[in-house]
Amino acid sequence: MRPISGILTAVAGTALLAGAAWAGEINVYTALEEDEIAAYLEQAAIDMPDVTINLLRLSTGDLGARIIAEANNPQADVIWGFALTNMLHQDIYSQLAPYDAAGAAELPPQFRDADGRWFAPTGYVGAFCVNNERLEAMGAPVPHTWQELANPVYKGEVVMPDPGSSGTGYLQIAAILQGMGDDAGWQLIADLDKNMAQYTTSGSRPCRMAQAGEYAIGASLSYVAMQGIEQGYPITMIIPEDYAGFELEANGLMAEAHNPEDAKRFLDWTLSAGASESYAERKDLVTIPGAPRPPQADAANFPEDLAAVLYPMDFASSGVERDGIIAKWRETVTEH
Amino acid sequence: MTAVPAVTHGVRVPGSERLFRQVVLWVPLAGIALFFLYPLAIIVVRSLTQRDGSIGFGNYTEFLSLGYLWTVIGNSLVMSGITAALCVGLGLVMAYAMSRTRMPLKWLVSLALALPLLAPSLVQALGLIFMFGRNGLISKFTGIELQVYGLPGLVMANTIYALPQAVMILMVALRQADRRQYDAALMLGASPWRRFMDVTLPGLRFGLLSAAFVCFSVTITDFGNAAVIGGGYPVLASEIYSQVVGQMNFNMGAVVGILLLIPTLLAFYLEKIAAQRHTMAGEGALPVEPNRWWPRDVPLWGFSYLGTAFIVAVMGIVVYASFVQLWPYNLGFTLKNYNINLQGGYASLWTTIYAALITAVLGTLMLFAIVLAERNLSRTKAKLLYLLAIVPVGVPGLVLGLSYVLSFNTRAMFPGILYGTILLIALCNFYHYHSQGFLTMITGMRNVPRPLEETVASLGGGVGAQLRDAVVPVMMPTLVSVFFFLFMRGMVTLSAVIFLITSKLSVAAVTVLRLDQTGRSTQAAAFSVIIMVIVLAAMGVMRAALWWQARRARMVAAGG
Repeated sequence: MRPISGILTAVAGTALLAGAAWAGEINVYTALEEDEIAAYLEQAAIDMPDVTINLLRLSTGDLGARIIAEANNPQADVIWGFALTNMLHQDIYSQLAPYDAAGAAELPPQFRDADGRWFAPTGYVGAFCVNNERLEAMGAPVPHTWQELANPVYKGEVVMPDPGSSGTGYLQIAAILQGMGDDAGWQLIADLDKNMAQYTTSGSRPCRMAQAGEYAIGASLSYVAMQGIEQGYPITMIIPEDYAGFELEANGLMAEAHNPEDAKRFLDWTLSAGASESYAERKDLVTIPGAPRPPQADAANFPEDLAAVLYPMDFASSGVERDGIIAKWRETVTEH
Repeated sequence: MTAVPAVTHGVRVPGSERLFRQVVLWVPLAGIALFFLYPLAIIVVRSLTQRDGSIGFGNYTEFLSLGYLWTVIGNSLVMSGITAALCVGLGLVMAYAMSRTRMPLKWLVSLALALPLLAPSLVQALGLIFMFGRNGLISKFTGIELQVYGLPGLVMANTIYALPQAVMILMVALRQADRRQYDAALMLGASPWRRFMDVTLPGLRFGLLSAAFVCFSVTITDFGNAAVIGGGYPVLASEIYSQVVGQMNFNMGAVVGILLLIPTLLAFYLEKIAAQRHTMAGEGALPVEPNRWWPRDVPLWGFSYLGTAFIVAVMGIVVYASFVQLWPYNLGFTLKNYNINLQGGYASLWTTIYAALITAVLGTLMLFAIVLAERNLSRTKAKLLYLLAIVPVGVPGLVLGLSYVLSFNTRAMFPGILYGTILLIALCNFYHYHSQGFLTMITGMRNVPRPLEETVASLGGGVGAQLRDAVVPVMMPTLVSVFFFLFMRGMVTLSAVIFLITSKLSVAAVTVLRLDQTGRSTQAAAFSVIIMVIVLAAMGVMRAALWWQARRARMVAAGG
């Protein structure tokens, strides 16, 4: 039994140390992608050499569940790059503290909270992953819009995420509904359903299936498609020209941050010139005025003045409407 | 010790033994209470917390009124029913072939059965898709596009996942038969088939029911395979994910988690009814020697090799994919996938080995203690203990993980101090697989003849001597099985642990998930291959050590 009690003591000792909050160290929870995180942290290490950044990286849904579950004793100092729709969930929003980050005031008002609890310097858009080989074998044209995707030629070859389990799936149908209005929107969703091979639980899975050649087209997100292309898969990224749909990536300060001083410095940094240059190389949307324009923004035909054209997605009310939309979606797709 | 001697089975029980009996009962029970019942209670409270914060059954009525719910329940029952039947059937064939026949290549069969326990379920599903997918090897070679997504894929994936657990229990159950019963049957002129039906099967009833119960429960609660290969075949476990992770509605997720306990409790009830008619065999049993009988052996071996080939093919294709440039487009050989270019790289591997060792050591000791305690309990108390020990199998990993966050992330010194430690991850993994370990252990304990224990006791041997001379030697194979089972699962289990990793502490299965999420399927395969190699090597070393120790013990015994 002795070695075991030795292990227990050692583990308990580590726990004591890990529990203590140290100056110069912050806990950051993020849903950003691995590769971009590595690049940003390199930049952060140059700009804030005295702060150690401990990162917990989980997918949006898992991270949201984690933050809510930890509500009684929050472990994070900062939430960084987290889907705004999820950030506005009452149980997460209520854990945030107002903080007027340096530079936040310059963001257009729809990219920051009126109370100062979050701001969103970046965002991402929906995209199709199209498997070139499979599409060629089918002899079908490359789809450029959701409307085209309803063409029966794609029957059984399209995969998209289930909006009930994936934020990506939700932003896709929300964009269709907001763009077309309810009647035409639900009709298109029903038409698309005839081509749908399956609805996946995860938002990145449709693109992974398309890249493996399991299906011709996977509706997912732009960065997911970019990752596949980077790995060398024979896929093309198509940002739907009609209703791309977008999500903002929000940052916020936890009200119970153990190290609020460094947490605030980190949040200031996310709006700094150094950071915004890093964003431009990788992001679809950068909301910081005057930041360099990302290449994906061209691909999606976004105009120069984003704030003026992105339809003002009401993230707060979309959170409320969400349950209703998901219920109606399930009815629509199970009717056939 | 001045304790008053108690009396059990007509033997006076000394104080030290009474103390021992208290410890082996109450320490594991305290563990179950703190690390399973307490988190479960929090989930129950969550499921009863209605939208407006009041307590009631509102969530249950809301959930049960969902239109598509009955389809989902039906799907789950059908899928788990088929899987359990397949696993018990094939599991019995394989366990029997390995323990009662002189099957060649037994080592290969048992190695194949270890593989599914060693690979994250995500990777097995990848292997199935690489093989049977629309763009998989078979489709490519035959030109026929298979439809693996949905029920067929789910049954295949879950069978691979549950089969080793069924075999583990059945192997232990097969050890408990008594050669003398077979000799008697032989003398009475019973045909081999009659001997199997009248001697083997009745003795196996408990093991068969336990195996069926485990296979049914682990597959009805498993979400991982459903997410990757389930296609348009929704099951209850995915509904939890959808509620908790998709819609961040914990209370509804808790409702599904609690409802998933119903089939488990039902299965427990049925199993107990059936097992009541089972009389304890194997008291003082002589082990049955493997023999040869062609009409039986050929089909048994055939099925065993078929099952082995299937698992080896699915896992083999993962190994193959880990060495190619870009699956399935460029099959040129490369080692680049083993250069994990994700932050952290292989670092999580060492933490995981440490955590898995704690899981295995702590788990084996606790389970051994609890089955020792069970022997001395009254029938009713033993039943209650049994129920407590097997309920964990009905709790989905996702629910268990979240319940751990809700229970242990507190400011108090204890148990909050465990939050964010390897120890908590290890404990979570142990209680996640508590039931399988317990059922194997208790099946194995039926081999230990009580008369032998009592003989050692009457010769003046204390608790230590009884354990050393009577119980441990008989239990050794079972202890080893349970240890390796917990160790292997501790290495790769993801669903619960994903909620317990921190910014400073991650585990290998999470790295595999992250690799797949970022599109690096071949690197995910490579990382899993490394996990398998390391664990197999570790098991090899441990087995060698055990063998060496046993040999030395034999030599000492012979010398003395």
